[in-house]
Amino acid sequence: MTFADFLNLALNGLVEGLLIALPALAVTLVHGLARFPNAATGDVVAAGGFGGYFTFNVTGSLLLAGLGGALVGALVSLAAYYLAFKAIMRRSVITLLLTSIGVGFFIRSVLGMSFGHELKMFSLPLTRAINFHGVLINPTDVQLAGVIVAVLAAVFVMLYVAPVGRMMRALADDPDLGRVSGIRKERVMVVMWSVTGAVCGIAGTVLGMRTTLAPEMGWTMLLPAFAAAVIGGLGNPVGAVAGAILLGVVQELSTPYVGFVYKIALGYVVMLLVLLVRPQGLFNRPQGVR
Amino acid sequence: MNRRKLLTLGAVALIASQWGTPVFAQQGVFKIASLNPITGAGSPYGTGMLKGAQMAVAEVNAAGGAGGAKIDMASEDSQTNPQAAVLAAKKLIEVQKVRAIIGTWSSGVSLAVIPITNDANVLLMHTSGAPALSVAPANAKKLGFRFQATNDRFGRAFAEIAKREKFKRPATMAFNNASGIGNTEGFRKSWTASGGTVVANVVYEPNRPSYRSELQEVLRGKPDVIVTGSYLADTTIILREWYQSGQPARWIIPGWAANGDLLKALGPDVTEGIISVESISAEDSPAYKSFADRFAKEAKMAAQDNVYAAMTYDEVIVLALAVQAVGPTAAADVLAKKVHEIGTPGGTVVNSFAEGKKLLAAGKRVTYHGASSALNFDEFNDVTPDFAASFVEKGKLVRKYVVKL
Repeated sequence: MTFADFLNLALNGLVEGLLIALPALAVTLVHGLARFPNAATGDVVAAGGFGGYFTFNVTGSLLLAGLGGALVGALVSLAAYYLAFKAIMRRSVITLLLTSIGVGFFIRSVLGMSFGHELKMFSLPLTRAINFHGVLINPTDVQLAGVIVAVLAAVFVMLYVAPVGRMMRALADDPDLGRVSGIRKERVMVVMWSVTGAVCGIAGTVLGMRTTLAPEMGWTMLLPAFAAAVIGGLGNPVGAVAGAILLGVVQELSTPYVGFVYKIALGYVVMLLVLLVRPQGLFNRPQGVR
Repeated sequence: MNRRKLLTLGAVALIASQWGTPVFAQQGVFKIASLNPITGAGSPYGTGMLKGAQMAVAEVNAAGGAGGAKIDMASEDSQTNPQAAVLAAKKLIEVQKVRAIIGTWSSGVSLAVIPITNDANVLLMHTSGAPALSVAPANAKKLGFRFQATNDRFGRAFAEIAKREKFKRPATMAFNNASGIGNTEGFRKSWTASGGTVVANVVYEPNRPSYRSELQEVLRGKPDVIVTGSYLADTTIILREWYQSGQPARWIIPGWAANGDLLKALGPDVTEGIISVESISAEDSPAYKSFADRFAKEAKMAAQDNVYAAMTYDEVIVLALAVQAVGPTAAADVLAKKVHEIGTPGGTVVNSFAEGKKLLAAGKRVTYHGASSALNFDEFNDVTPDFAASFVEKGKLVRKYVVKL
């Protein structure tokens, strides 16, 4: 193992982390605002991936594919809110969690029945990596990082600059107080579910471009995404992205010592350590800021 | 007669008729069942497999049946799903009272069904690759027969091809399950046994968004060929990331991963020169020629597109020959021993049921050379089929040669 090898491993981890970052961001947004772990998040990601895939096949444009994925994700997310979550929004977290598992199964089955389980891929031209003294840098990874920074920035502007974001945070903090101070809860909820759905949709499109498309793709990504969100502090968008990158880099750097089968377990060891030392997550203050 | 009496009488009549049926059935018919993947992941093959088995049943019955009994075949859809297959197998055994189940596809399905057939003393003839199906507990009673190559034999075929292509520095990459590791371990054992060395062995986890570090590890050994035990989705990601790395290497990949879908997904640049290895039917045997002709006429399908159809065909023929030899009422272990004997060298070679029936009736020992392979069961009742090496040339798979183990 040379230094370049380690650097390459770290870069691989960065890329894996970036791929997990967007689903983690979606998990953390739903948790931050609706205050329950939404197990259907992964399946909204998959639905968005399919939306992006079909938009890409029709238009041939990556930008439009991202928008198409975001639109489908937002619609699916809104449908899940109206048809499943709205009626039980004030019930216990466990009711909401179980409902979301059911919603996830439903979305996955609809995707499977509609589009089948055979392999689907974005047919994109492949680029060779640039070899910089033994360190491989792939141009598409730079684009990936750009997309994630842009989505993060947009989410931040919405949460902390736009008035609707302030309303969201107010409602998340105390729904009753929010309502008596004149916030229209219904409208804010619609915005919240649309935005998280759109983030999921973009995540699905990016994930689909980098890997393959399948109805189960979001479900298999859910656990790492949850772990990343927990490490960063649930509800904290920057934390989710940083947690995902940390998880990815630690996993890859561990491979010379623990091998490729156990690196995944090591990711969860990191999560346990973080929870032991900082139960609120790396980026949250003890009270939590939503 | 009041209603209660009528019910009682009816029930008695029903029980009596059930009581009588097996005796009657054992004299006139030999009941078997096909349990094929008509739907689910195996659906491209299931219908052809059923058709192949039905052709064999028709052939046996047209030749006057086996051992004085007509073959009667029920059929169920396994849905390529272990739960569905178990329910279907239970129904076939308990309600239809079949003596053998043929044509299960995918190791998950066969591994789920074989405990049930074992308990009921029913033969299971399957087309799955997992090494676990060879040995106890799955095949403790030796009532299971495998008509597809084991993953271990796939690995041996990979080694033969690597030798023939004069590769010197192979590395392996395996999907972390019995089938994936079975392929690469089979390769490694065979390759090192003939004095070669393997520069890197990597086992990877399924469902990862990227396999770069795994590839980095493999490529650091500067292999001239990478042998995989992989599936379509992970192979797609691995090959794309390998191409991006820019380091030259060749690939030997099992046919279920390196197929038309992979070529379509990755395009000609990435896939050029990949060697795809699949097990094939005994394409120059008389049984295959006769089968392929009828399959094209009756099922309107090409036998070369569905190797499993020739397997289910052989399953019925070899079973019927065994029934001819030991009689339709023989115990399961006697029948299984006869199936094994007819599928091993030592007897007069026959290529069809009618031919074998004549010799068996004359008290001779026969060896059936089937359409799928010459069978040649080993001690675990596993067959050794031929393999084909196909090379990707300009985005198309071109078959170059056949490997016999």
